[in-house]
Amino acid sequence: ADLKISPAARKMLDEKGIDAAAVTGTGKGGVITKEDVAAYKPKPA
Amino acid sequence: MSKFDVVVIGSGPAGYVAAIRAAQLGLKTACVEKARNKSDKLALGGTCLNVGCIPSKALLDSSYKYHEAKDNFADHGIGTGDVTIDVPAMIKRKDAVVAQMIGGIGGLFQANGVTSIEGLGKVLAGKKVEVTAADGSTSILEAENIIIATGSIPVAIPPAPVDQDIIVDSTGALEFQSVPAKLGVIGAGVIGLELGSVWSRLGSEVVLLEALDTFLPIVDSQIAKEAAKVFKKQGLDIRLGARVTATNTAKGKVEVSYTHNDEEKTEIFDKLIVCVGRKPMSNGLLAPDCGVNLDERGFIFVDDHCKTDAAGVFAIGDVVRGPMLAHKGSEEGVMVVECIAGHKVTMNYDCIPSVIYTHPEIAGVGKTEEQLKAEGVPYKVGTFPFAAIGRAVAANDSTGMVKMLAHEETDRILGCHIIGASAADLVQQIVIAMEFGSSAEDIGLTVFGHPTLSEAVHEAALAVNGQAIHMPNRKKRK
Repeated sequence: ADLKISPAARKMLDEKGIDAAAVTGTGKGGVITKEDVAAYKPKPA
Repeated sequence: MSKFDVVVIGSGPAGYVAAIRAAQLGLKTACVEKARNKSDKLALGGTCLNVGCIPSKALLDSSYKYHEAKDNFADHGIGTGDVTIDVPAMIKRKDAVVAQMIGGIGGLFQANGVTSIEGLGKVLAGKKVEVTAADGSTSILEAENIIIATGSIPVAIPPAPVDQDIIVDSTGALEFQSVPAKLGVIGAGVIGLELGSVWSRLGSEVVLLEALDTFLPIVDSQIAKEAAKVFKKQGLDIRLGARVTATNTAKGKVEVSYTHNDEEKTEIFDKLIVCVGRKPMSNGLLAPDCGVNLDERGFIFVDDHCKTDAAGVFAIGDVVRGPMLAHKGSEEGVMVVECIAGHKVTMNYDCIPSVIYTHPEIAGVGKTEEQLKAEGVPYKVGTFPFAAIGRAVAANDSTGMVKMLAHEETDRILGCHIIGASAADLVQQIVIAMEFGSSAEDIGLTVFGHPTLSEAVHEAALAVNGQAIHMPNRKKRK
């Protein structure tokens, strides 16, 4: 899906190797912000 | 009795925008306005258009051009000979600008099918509006929804009663037909600084008497400090902690008595502008049984969605809580009619920019450093001076700086404060960024055109994390 991701969030997603689809965006219109990525904790397997 | 889905009382930026948006949404809408202009025609547009934002900006722009030609053109090698200003012609141009914009609203009302009704509106019980025409005759409008947008008026102070000749309010200060040799201004807020700037540029010796000890307390203190320095250099004599106790007009002049640092002082001016603040216009507006309540300061009491205590009655703009800014009223107007039309809308009161149209301009959005300190929010600061911005230096206009505040941990932008040329337009970039929850790094990772003034915003964002390029960074790099 074409998720809306802020530039800094995109960078952090790349660095941490997190799939953007797993993160819930809290920015305007569901934009994934940098802090959303920072706060993301992968679900325990 | 005429029936409408929406009756708006007041045609200022809150009321007329609400009326147009309501009509766009298919609601049968009327807008009631009582004001007449100098040529005795119905004056739509309210304070902003008639005696506020637009005319003051027209005079600020005219006076700035004069000042530039007179004092700064030589820097570019441009000789002008004697530069003169024809004040009545400048005022006439301002009036033409105002007339054009008023006509524009009339045209928009017509195009959107808003019924414009002239007269003084009063809210009655049962969602009825009584309109009193200029000849005293009354009629009743029946409304599904009433939107009160009656605005604000200048605060009067007993020691300096306005006669609109020697002692004027902001309205009278837009109408001077000659440059007062010596001009007193009571109040060094936004309006005082703007009007003081206009007449100072044209040659007035301007003294601003401000009762508070703090200069521009609502502005970030670092920016306010810079502003005080700049204004002093421009010749504005700003006296803080100066309380006016009496005035005495005689022989076309006014003697002002005031206390300053526990000393009694007097000063004689050719004109005196009283601009200590504005108050909500709610007098005589409400029938006692209409169900709408006022707070202790005369503002109409509303909730976050601008609903009053009476069902179907809303109030927006200067007559309710919040900053007295045109764009705040307009957005409340949009929110209210969208709600009436059944949409879900909220307004973001955290991202309302504010601007002072001096030169340099002062603009800000979000929290100031003082507010963050008071709230105990951990933050990072990035500043960048226009003196290091090529575009600003080329323009011979490099006073000021951009200051950005971001959360210490999340990097989210919490505020941005600018003093400098085009600050109002620059800060808007950060208003948009904040609406999207941007981090300072988001701005840092964005491409800014070169050379532009906007680069100062980019560099300030980079400076937040110690990564500004065109300035040595104080903080250690990560």
